Parts: sequence; C-alpha cells; structure tokens
Amino acid sequence: MIEQICSIAEQILADKTVDVVIGYEAGTRGAVRPAFIRSAAEAGRLVWNDACTHNLANYVREKHVSPKKGAPPAKVGVILKACDARALNVLLRDNQAPRADLYLIGVACQGMRQNSGFAGRDLGDLELRCQDCAERVPAGCDVVVGEAPAAGVAPASAIARELDRLAALSPAERQAFWDAEFARCLRCYACRQACPACYCVECTAEQLEPSWIGVAIRTPEKRFFHTMRAYHLAGRCAGCDECARVCPVGVRLDLLNAWFRREIEGTYGYRAGQDATTPAPLASFVPSESLDL
Amino acid sequence: MARIGVFVCRCGSNIGATVDVKKVVEALGQTPDVVFATDYMFMCSEPGQTQIQAAIRDHNLDRVVVAACSPTMHFRTFSSAIQRAGLNPYMLEMANIREQCSWVHPDKAVGTPKATDIVRMAAAKTRWFEPLYPHEIGVTRRALVIGGGVAGIQAALDIANAGVPVVLVERSPSIGGRMAQLDKTFPTLDCSGCILTPRMTEVSQHPNITLRTWSEVATVRGFVGNFEVDILQKPRYIDESKCTGCGECLTRCPWKGFPLEFDEGLGTRSAVYRPFPQAVPNKPVIDPETCMALKSIAEDADRRPDPLTGAAPKRKPKCGLCQKTCPREAVDFFQQPKITTEKFGAVVLANGFRLFDPTVYGEYGYGRYPDVITSIQMERLMNAAGPTGGEIRRPSDGKHPRSVVFLACVGSRDEHVGRPYCSKICCMYTAKHAIMLKEHDPHVQTYVFYMDVRAGGKGYDEFVRRAQEEYGACYIRGRVSKIYPDGDHLVVMGEDTLMGMPVQVEADMVVLATGVQPQADAGDMARKLGISYDGYGFINESHPKLNPVESNTAGIFVAGMTIGPKDIPESVSQASAAAAKVLGLLSQPTMLGEAMISAVSQARCTGCFTCEQVCPYNAVERVTLRDGRQVAQINEGLCKGCGVCATACPGKVINLRGFSDQALLAQMNALFTLPEVVAVD
Amino acid sequence: MPDTPFEPRIVGFLCNWCSYAGANLAGTSRIRYEPNIRIIRVPCSGRVDPLFVARAFQEGADGVMVLGCHPGDCHYRDGNYYARRRFNLMHGFLDFLGIDERRLKIDWVSAAEGKRFAQVVSQFTDQVRDLGPATVRQPAVLGG
Repeated sequence: MIEQICSIAEQILADKTVDVVIGYEAGTRGAVRPAFIRSAAEAGRLVWNDACTHNLANYVREKHVSPKKGAPPAKVGVILKACDARALNVLLRDNQAPRADLYLIGVACQGMRQNSGFAGRDLGDLELRCQDCAERVPAGCDVVVGEAPAAGVAPASAIARELDRLAALSPAERQAFWDAEFARCLRCYACRQACPACYCVECTAEQLEPSWIGVAIRTPEKRFFHTMRAYHLAGRCAGCDECARVCPVGVRLDLLNAWFRREIEGTYGYRAGQDATTPAPLASFVPSESLDL
Repeated sequence: MARIGVFVCRCGSNIGATVDVKKVVEALGQTPDVVFATDYMFMCSEPGQTQIQAAIRDHNLDRVVVAACSPTMHFRTFSSAIQRAGLNPYMLEMANIREQCSWVHPDKAVGTPKATDIVRMAAAKTRWFEPLYPHEIGVTRRALVIGGGVAGIQAALDIANAGVPVVLVERSPSIGGRMAQLDKTFPTLDCSGCILTPRMTEVSQHPNITLRTWSEVATVRGFVGNFEVDILQKPRYIDESKCTGCGECLTRCPWKGFPLEFDEGLGTRSAVYRPFPQAVPNKPVIDPETCMALKSIAEDADRRPDPLTGAAPKRKPKCGLCQKTCPREAVDFFQQPKITTEKFGAVVLANGFRLFDPTVYGEYGYGRYPDVITSIQMERLMNAAGPTGGEIRRPSDGKHPRSVVFLACVGSRDEHVGRPYCSKICCMYTAKHAIMLKEHDPHVQTYVFYMDVRAGGKGYDEFVRRAQEEYGACYIRGRVSKIYPDGDHLVVMGEDTLMGMPVQVEADMVVLATGVQPQADAGDMARKLGISYDGYGFINESHPKLNPVESNTAGIFVAGMTIGPKDIPESVSQASAAAAKVLGLLSQPTMLGEAMISAVSQARCTGCFTCEQVCPYNAVERVTLRDGRQVAQINEGLCKGCGVCATACPGKVINLRGFSDQALLAQMNALFTLPEVVAVD
Repeated sequence: MPDTPFEPRIVGFLCNWCSYAGANLAGTSRIRYEPNIRIIRVPCSGRVDPLFVARAFQEGADGVMVLGCHPGDCHYRDGNYYARRRFNLMHGFLDFLGIDERRLKIDWVSAAEGKRFAQVVSQFTDQVRDLGPATVRQPAVLGG
C-alpha cells in the first residue's frame, strides 16, 4: 500500500496538482508524525502502518496552509482514513476548507493502535473507535488506496459499552466520575488544537467579552470547558478521538463526544461527516417531531 | 465604568404592600456601579418621570433601572422619559417586581429578597448595555383586511376613506359575514340587511378598495411595513368582468336541492348559486362538487383542452345550460385558481367566528328532531330572504309554531364541553327572537330557559324587559334536562329554580342559543400571520385595555369576534380602532425598525454560516472581507431580534443587542455572587 | 444556619412573548406560586443557549427552567423548534455529566396560561427541593 501512496504523492506533486501532500512519516524514536511533503523527490518519506492515527484533516484548514501574501491559495493533497474523511466532510460543509483546492487520498484502514504518535511507548490494542469501526474505507476521496477488509470481522461496540456502563450509574456517581476526570485536566487545550472541528478564530474558552469561563484551573471551570466544547461539537464531531489521544493526562474526552454522537445518530439518523452537505441536526428541525424534554 | 441609577416604584400599595421597598433601595445602593438609588410612589407618573430625569442630570447617570411593573407595560414610558433627559432610549432596563414578585408573594419576608435579586440582576445587565440606534425601514402604504364581515367592512371603509388603498379578502362568495344572515339586530330591531347592504355596496364601489371575494390568504411573508402576501383567488367559473349579475343562470340550472351554506342547512341552492340575493359582488359561483358540467370535465379528459397543444376539447361538457343561456357568455368552466402576490404595510384580521355545534348535547336532540334548531337557523327563518320567505315555519311540517322554547347557554358557560366562557350575545338575541316571533304571530307563546340574563349595553336591559313585559316571553330560570318528541310536538323538561320545581313545556319548536367560538382554522390563520391565540382559538390581543386591537406582532391588527365574544357595536368600534392604528402606522413613508437586533463580529467569524441556516427571517448575508474571508452579515431590516443565530453560533461571535451573552450571563452572575439578602426582620 | 430548611435556587429563562407574558398573567391574576424562581427574560426560547443552563448549575443553581412558546406558536416562527432540539440533547448530556435530569425543566407555557405557569413553577420547585442542593455548584466564578 505504501508504494501506491508514495507513487500517487509523487505524481500529484510532480504535475503540480498539489503544492504539498500531507501524510505520515517516521518521527523521533520510532513514533509516527504528520509529514508535509513539498516535492516529488521527498515522497519517499511517507509511511503507512497501524500507528498512523493522526487526523490529517486538521491541517487542511486555510490557516495551516495559508500561502505567502498575494500568492494564490495552496493546493493541498491529504491522506485520509475513514474517520478523517468524515471530519473533512464537516469542514467542507462548514465552509472551512475549499474542496477545489484539495486532492483527497483515501486509504483503506485496518485500524490504528493505542499509544500511536508518542515516542518511546509500545503500541497497545486497537483504538476503541477502530474496534467499533464499520466503515474502514473513506468516501468522497479523489483516489482510494487499498480495499475494504474481508468480511468476518464484525465491529465491536466498545465505546457503546462504556457509555452504557456510565448510564447505569446514579447521577451522583457519574458526577464523581467526571469530577475525577476533570480534576486531572490542565487546560492545556491540546484537545482543542488536535480537533479538526475546533476551528473558531477565538475559542469561547478564551473570550473576555463575555467571559464564559474564568481563567482559574479549577474543576468547575474545567467541567464547563469540556461541557461547552462537547456541546459545540455536537453534530460536528466525526469521532476521530484525537482529543482523547493527545490529552496528556488521559481525560476520557472521547466519551463526551461519543455520547452526543450516539444520541444524534439514534434520534436523527445522522452521522457527522456522512456527506459534505446535510446541515447539522442542531441547525435544522422538523415541526412535527416529538422529542423528549 | 457604568453609572447606574435605580428607581424603585411602590406602585401605590401594589408593590409597597408586599415588598419592603426601602430595603431594596438600600441593597441596590451597595451594588457595584449603582451610583444612585431611590424609591417613589408612582414612578410612571409625571413627577416620577421628572425625578428620574433630574437624577440623570444631577448624578451623571448613563443608564437607568426602573424596578416596577412588567416592561411590557411601561418600557416605552420610561424609555422616552430618559431620552428626554438626554440618554439613549435603550439605556434602560425594567425590573419586574410587580407581576412577577409583589403580586404573587404576599409575605414581605419572601418578596423583599426576591425583589432585591430581581433588581440586582437588572442592574448587572445594564452594565453591558450600549446606545442603540434603530435604522429606518420603508413602509408600503397599502393595507390588507382579512374577512368581509361587518368588522372587515368597517375597517376597509375607514382606511380607504383616508386615502389608503385597501385589499379586502373574503373567502366566501360575498361579503357581509354573519350580519348578512341576520334578520333584525338588537336592541333597536334595525333590519340587519338594511344597515349593512349600503356599506357592502360602498365597499364594492370604493375607488380605494379592491374586493377579493372567493379568495383566501395563502401565505404571509415579511414584517411590519413590508408584508408580502400571496392571495389565492379560487375559480368562480364565472368571468367577473363579464357577469352583470342578471341571474339567468340561477333560474336555468337544473341541479338543485343542495344545502345552502348561508341558510345553515335549512335552505337549498343549485350548483350555480349566489349565497343571498343582495350578495356583493352580485356574481354567482359554480360549485364543482355539484355542477354536472364541471364534474364531467373533471372525469373525462376529452372534455378538457389538450394539455400539450392547447387544442379545444373534443367533447362539450355535460349540461352547460348556464353557459348556453348566459347573455354575456360569462361562464368559463376552465377557469383556474390564481395566486397573486401583493405588498402591504399593515394587516387587519377580522375573520369572525362560527357557532357551537350543539349535537354534542344529545339530550337536546339537535340533529335528531328537525324542530330543534339553532339560533342562527332561527335568524334564517325570520329573514325575508331566507328559506321560508320570512315565515316562521317548523322544519318538520312547515306549520307555524304556537309554542316556542328557547334554551340559553348552549355551548357557553359549560366546562363539560370545553366552553366555560360566556358568549355575550345570546341573552340579547334570544330576547330579540322572542320579540320577533310575537311580531310575526301574536298567538305565539315563547319560553326562555335561562341561567342569568346578561344585557349590559345601552338599552339592552330595557330590551329584555320588553320581551317579557310587552311580548309575554316567559322566562324560566333553570336548565333543560331533556327534550323528547311526543306526537307532532316536543316536550321540554327542565327546572324552574326560582319556584323550586321541575317544569315541562310542550313546544312546537325549540331554539338553542348556541355559543360562539373561533373559526375552525383560526389557529392556522394566526400561525400564517405569526400572532398568538388562546386555548379556544381566540386571537390574543396585545393588551385588553391598553392595546385591544393590536396583536403582539407589529403591523398585524385584529378586530371583532376573532378576538372574543362581542356584539355588533363593539365589532364596529374595534374595526374603526384598528383602522386608526393602521392609518397611524402608514402615515409616514418610513418607520424605525427593531433596535435590539443581532450583529456579527466579523473579525472573529469563521464563515460556517450556521446562523444563515437557522435564521427564520433569512436575514443573514454572505460578505467577503478584504482578506478574502467570507463571513456572515446580518441584514438590519430583516432581523427581528430573536437571537437564534447568537445561540447557534459555535464561536459565539454574534451579539444580540439587549440580550447579549454578556448581559444574560451577568444577570446570572449577579444572582449568585452578590451577598444574599437576609430575610427582613 | 443549620436549622434553615433547604430552599432551592431556581433560574428560569422565559421567552418574552409567551412564558414571560404567562408569568405576568399569573401576576395580574394574583395566583401564588413558589417564590424560588428568578426569571431571566429572553426574546425567544431559541435564544437560550444550553450553555447558559450549564453555567447556571456551575454558579449555584439547584434547578433551571426553560419555558417557551408551544411548538408551532413561536413569535419568531422557528425559535422554539431549535430550542426543542438543543435541550433534548443538552438535558441528557447534563445528566450524563452527573446533573440529575430532574433538575432541568423544559416546558411550553403560552401567554394565556397564567395558572399553568404557576403550577409548573411550583411543581418544579417542590421537585428540586426534594432532590436537595445540587453539588456541582462551586464558589463564585469570575467574569461575566
């Protein structure tokens, strides 16, 4: 597969379809990291393995690839897994990335492993989202490398089981669980930086007018930040779980977003990133619908 | 730094009796940024307002909190007061400590801390206020009146006489409404048609009125001063420009015997018909359900023009007698419905009422016994143009009744049928019927089973007395439990509560004084206009005393029975009142728009356009900044200030003036961060 | 004061055209109800950001109410449809984070429903009183 990927990258850089290809390369001490390949000759740096977990859709927003002043916008090639492609669809729908300037290289994925992207750590089991994944092959790309995996490996419901476990607790027990999670949070905002859907110019966490959250690193503030972020992402989170991966203290942010994804899919049959056009459920309504309040 | 002035009103004893106003003032005096706090007996009075103005000057206040009644009462009063003192009129917040505190919490120990909280929240909110300058919007100098009853007619004439063009839309074939169905009107016993038909003619001939009958309002878009309305013209199948109203078609039509809606089931009509002889416009309408020609066209494609080539139909329609006999060739079986879109600056809704269907009272036998009729049916019997030519005849055998029993409050004042309200007009029209029956036949004896007699207008009580004393109507205070047939008459079983005994009356005819209720589609019409209505479907007026003919939606006015039970003088008064409001609104070429609208902080907008998706008024535009970014911009003319965009914006870059995130969060913050007011001693 | 019985602090977001007017009608009709509620007026229930509700609990509310026009009757046409979707989600999410779902009440009260307003508020206040103080509350948050 990697040969195919490199060859495509080489091609589109050589014929100037794109100015840069965003993919994965070997980083320090064995970890994989995002790569920005700017010439055909360097295409060989690209790698593809089960540690390529990063959501590269995060890098296609204009700010990250803004050209020199006065130059036409850069054309960007990007390697996407299924979850990344969904995230990209959300960006396309929200006018955050110009489809015309993108060349999407989809790659069929067998699942990524925990501890990916961190130097000096052994790779663990398959990520929860990968255990649950039924998609494997990204949609909506200009080219797709690899094939869907052979039938027989049924998707698990690892995340759903964790949500159910929490749902079975009493509200007080759940509050204690989350207070303990949020107590570790450093407000480093790595989760926000890693998230493709967190594209606000000025994050509400840092706004002064109004001051939605005080600056103190205390549990109530942190609880509010995560409540706010998860709610803002409702209907826009594609479930790449980058936020949980990059959190230095391991807060279970994936569960917050998973809760919304499950509710929204259950109520509206909608998955963020299912296409690049359908409005998010919170931006639409059906007058006759009946919803629990 | 804000300089807030706080003015707490005692409102006589309305607030002062259950809130320790002095303690509230004291607490506010210690609130951040409040530089002046005082109380007064009636803040909205002239001296109260003067006090505010003086304080603004003396203490250099830049924003004001008035703690008193609801802002819906007096926001405008205080707003213009502070404006006269040199402040922007929007640098004001009212703290509702009356309707939402003093009037509902009688214990001072409870009301005082709550009032303090409410006023502190208001003060905190004002710290985020900025001067607001509403923009000007153009006003279309045309009015729409929906409903061609007496209220709609009056409103249309008043507006048109002032030189403003009016379109009057009526969904039945003629204007006149309920009043046209009546014979005489109480208490003067004027002939209803005689006083109404000249007005109807005036409407049809008025140069400023465009009369659209057999038409309906399909959709309403826009906002005050700038409404855009789709009006559906249903096909009459008669070309109005050719028809002279000669009535030939009516005499020729062989398809007769269908129930005439205008006669409330007592009379019949043919397939081509006029609702009544004095109909305005005096042009018939053909009913496609009963016209043989139209039905044959609907069933047989050969009788229709070729849809592709437009070639004439291969076969003629069946019958078509009216078309053959019409001297002006005005019959057009292929007429299509048409929708026209027109612009208006204001709308008057006067779509009237319908009557309660008494079938639900099984014990009265309405619908089973033909001689049990409703009050409106009695009107049709009495009316000389009605199904019996004005003779009172029993529906069963056509004989003149000698004994007629009236039941009051059928479908009114009755929780069991979901109509607890009084319909206001039934006591009066029942007395009228009793009088008229005696006028028609001096041998008639009338009985009225009543609960209370409500006769509150000018000459009304005297009228009811006349019915009893001069016309011999026997008034029995009690309800009727059952009506059953006995031979060729009915027996009415009831109670005489004043005598304390049951009574039975043999009746040749029974008339049920059915109550009034809103039209079946009242809710739909209200939703089209964006106005609110109550549980029965009556339209909510903005305020029963202060704004009785306005709805809560700017530019939409209401008059007549659609608001609630009332008699003709009241309907006509309200119609003229609504017309006056319309003329006021349309008197200037421009008006000030909404001030509390949204604005996008474009430097921070990410261009996701979630706001565009959710805005109910399509007020969001896309603009491109100099750096090439596409961001959202809100059209000040279209924005109504709902704030759905501000809530939907993920980046929280939309500021809804007057209800910004800062302002609302500040209200909450004030509640939880300022020291609690300890219960009063 | 250990002997003072617990009185819940309730924040209510009321839309100007329906529920706020309904509350006013309760006032003009002199209908009494539990006093704990503190009302924040908004133009439309669609203006009530679910994060205001989360913030209210954060700052010390024991119960929060959001009352709007009946669906179909919104003065701004669609606002309450969005509120309905938002709060359907947020109600569940706050409960997921440990704020008992019985502490949040979303309901529709029209301008003509003064009596109903009083009933809904009193019922909810009693319910929150029985639940006891919310424990998510923390001391004052700066700013805002």
